[in-house]
This record gives sequence, structure tokens and C-alpha cells, in this order.
Amino acid sequence: MFRYNVSTVFLLLAAFLAQQFVPAFSGLSHARILLVHLVFLCSAVTVTTPTMLLMAFIGGIFWDAHCSLAPIIADPEIYSKPVESLRFGYSILLFGGMGFLMQGLNPLFRQGKWHFSAALTGIATFLYLAADYCLISFVRGDFVISRAIVRLMTYTSLLTMLFSPLIFWLLYRLAKLFDHSLYPEANRNRRR
Amino acid sequence: MKPLNLIALLLFLAGATWALTRSEPIVREIQVAYFKAIAPTLKSGSALETKARELLTETKHSKELDAELSTIRGEIGRLRIIESRFKALERENSELRHALNFKKATSFDVVAAQIIRRHPTTWWQTMEINAGENRGIGIQLSVLSNDGLVGIIDRPFKQRSSVLLITDEKCQVSVRVEGSPEGGILSGQRGEFERNPTLRLQYLSKNASLKPGQRVFTSGRGGIFQPNILVGTIISVERGPLDSEALVKPAVDLSDLGTVFVVLSENH
Repeated sequence: MFRYNVSTVFLLLAAFLAQQFVPAFSGLSHARILLVHLVFLCSAVTVTTPTMLLMAFIGGIFWDAHCSLAPIIADPEIYSKPVESLRFGYSILLFGGMGFLMQGLNPLFRQGKWHFSAALTGIATFLYLAADYCLISFVRGDFVISRAIVRLMTYTSLLTMLFSPLIFWLLYRLAKLFDHSLYPEANRNRRR
Repeated sequence: MKPLNLIALLLFLAGATWALTRSEPIVREIQVAYFKAIAPTLKSGSALETKARELLTETKHSKELDAELSTIRGEIGRLRIIESRFKALERENSELRHALNFKKATSFDVVAAQIIRRHPTTWWQTMEINAGENRGIGIQLSVLSNDGLVGIIDRPFKQRSSVLLITDEKCQVSVRVEGSPEGGILSGQRGEFERNPTLRLQYLSKNASLKPGQRVFTSGRGGIFQPNILVGTIISVERGPLDSEALVKPAVDLSDLGTVFVVLSENH
């Protein structure tokens, strides 16, 4: 169990490296496969709560390091209304929230019904992006929603969800390697 | 809740609070360490993206490329003539300044860079270039192309830099409108992910007499951008009860950009 949990943390770090090879699809409103989020969400349903929270912290802090913009320093007399940015570290809380959402399906996953969790990765990704966008809108003072934004969130969630079976298979292989069972209740029922 | 989970949750919240309260220099240190750690894959990923883009460009029809080449050749010839004239004027200007014992007014140096990555993040309109601190690039330097303003340097790293594009909401530019006394603040619009994003020019006067097609240039005020850089052309004007706003089409086609120039120094 311990070795499996550690391996999922390393898998998350590997996802950050692999994410660099995933470009945005300009034809799909710049949607992309969020590999880091996918690995986190899939792992979250298979690990203990403390491990999930550790992964949320690592995932959130590194994701913000990857994405956050520098503040613009300009003459306040000319640029009297600077555009606000989100604080560094906010993604940690979003990752944590999505992790708890995924753990809600843990009882079904332990019974071997991984496809519910796979579908939830798409929903969780959509909710993550929606929360992210709402926070940006909140700190900037007005809420603008366009078709392009909805398309970006939908395509990104769908593309990400499509790859979830692959990540679950990878986690299954890791669990087997470290003598850990992802579906203990399903195995128990089979033995009966 | 199990005691272990409760302790983990408290530690998680403490960690999140620690991250949320970090100052800008520490955030930058974390970012530098992060990008240093992923540097090998970042380089390979960027190279892969560039190759894929080149392959797509190569598939353009050869006739189209031939026509483009002959246009570029004609343009080069025209620019060479202008350049020779400009050099003669510059020499004459220098001689006259020397004669009048004038202080040198402007020092302008640029670094050419290739775009290696587009839209590396979900929400921000940014791109990455293959020049960084090793070539003298620092934070908030203007980035231009042959057609006009592209954006500013957001975060410079050792061998690469992130550019915040003018189409991003955070990138504000103080501008003036050609042939009119009007000026305002231009910025990108949130959620403009389509191929032809527009910019919003705010704080124009209530009865601004502007027409579509008028060009918009940087004003040079505010301490970020040099003056007289073309930013775009006015598409439409919306009049409000207190002020007017205009929609502006960027001069630069940001979806089809290969080389950019970073302005290193400008002494006013």
C-alpha cells in the first residue's frame, strides 16, 4: 500500500513532464488534455486521503508555478485600473476539492466499477475549469461567459476524460507491481 | 473523520495557506526551480510542437508559397531602399546633433527570437520564445513583430521567456488614435479564444469622433511601451453615457507568428 501510494506521487511528477508534450488544439478553442489533472483525479480515487492531499498540494503548487503570471508594474496614473490575478497557490485548494469529489466514488471503485470514476474525471475536470474561471471572474470584478469559454471547458474535459481508462490501466499495473489491490471488495466477492 | 485524515487535512490547509501568502520574489524562485527541473522535457516538447507546426506549414500549396516569396522579395527590395535612405538620414541627423552638441535622444536595441510554444496555459494568452536572460532579456520588455506590437515579457528565464500577448485581458497598453486627439487604455478581452480576437479600447471621450480603419499606436505613457508602435486598427466605436469604447483589430496576426523582436533598451 505504502509503495503504491509513493508510486502515484511519482506518477504525478512524471505527468508534469509529459504535459510539456501536449499542445493546445487551436481548432478546438485551444482545448488540451490536462494530463496532470487526469493523473491526480484517477489516483485520488485509489489512494488514502492523506496521500490524496499530499498529491493535491504537489499538483497545485507545481501547476501554479507553471501557469501564474508576473504582476505588471506600471505608472498608476496612466494604468489606474490594473487587472488582478489569482494568488499563487489557489490551485492547491481546487486540486484538494476535486480530490475529495473523486474519493466520493471510492466505494464503487473498490467494487471494480472503475468506469463510474472514469466518467467522473470528465465532470471533475469541467468543474475544476469552471471554478478556476469563476475565481478569475470574481477577482477581476465582472462575469463574462462566451461560447468560446464553454467550448474550451467542454472540449478540454472530454479530451481529458477519454484518456482516463489508460491512466486507470497504468495505476492497475503499478498496484500489481507493488502487491496492492485496487479492487479489494470485487476480489473478495469473486473468492466467495 | 479518522484522526490521521484530520491531521492530514490540517497539514494540507497549513500548506495551502503558506503557498497563498508567499511574496512575489519567492514565487519567482519556486517558478525558476520548477522550470529548471522540467527543462529537458520543456525543450523536447517545444521542439516537437515547432516541428509539427513546420510540417503543417510545409503542406501549404506551393503556388501560394511562390506568390508569398515573390511578394517578400519585392518587399525586401523596397525595405533596402528605405533602409539606405534611413541610414543617410541617420548619419545626417547625427552630424547635425553633434554640431548642435545635442544629447543622444534614443538608444534602441532588439533581440530576435523564435516562438517555441503557443498557449502553454489554459486561460492566459501567452507564448514562449527561445531567448531569455542569457541574451539580456528582462521582465516587462516590449515584444514586437514586423507588423506591430505583440506583447510584453512576462517571465524571463535563463534560455527562454514567456510573453504576455496584447490579446490577454491583463496586458494593458496606453495608446493614441492616429489623426485624432483621442487616447485610452487598450486591452484584450476575456474568453477570446477564437482565431481573430479583438481588443477593447477604453476611456475615450464621450463624443470621440473616430472612424473604422483609423490606426492605433502606443502613446509611450505609463512606462512600459515605447511610443509610436502600431497596435491595430479600429473596427467599431460604442458610445456610452460617460465615455466611449472602441473595438480594435490587432495589427499582428498572433496565430501565424514565427519570429518576434524584444526591445532591449530605450532611453527617453
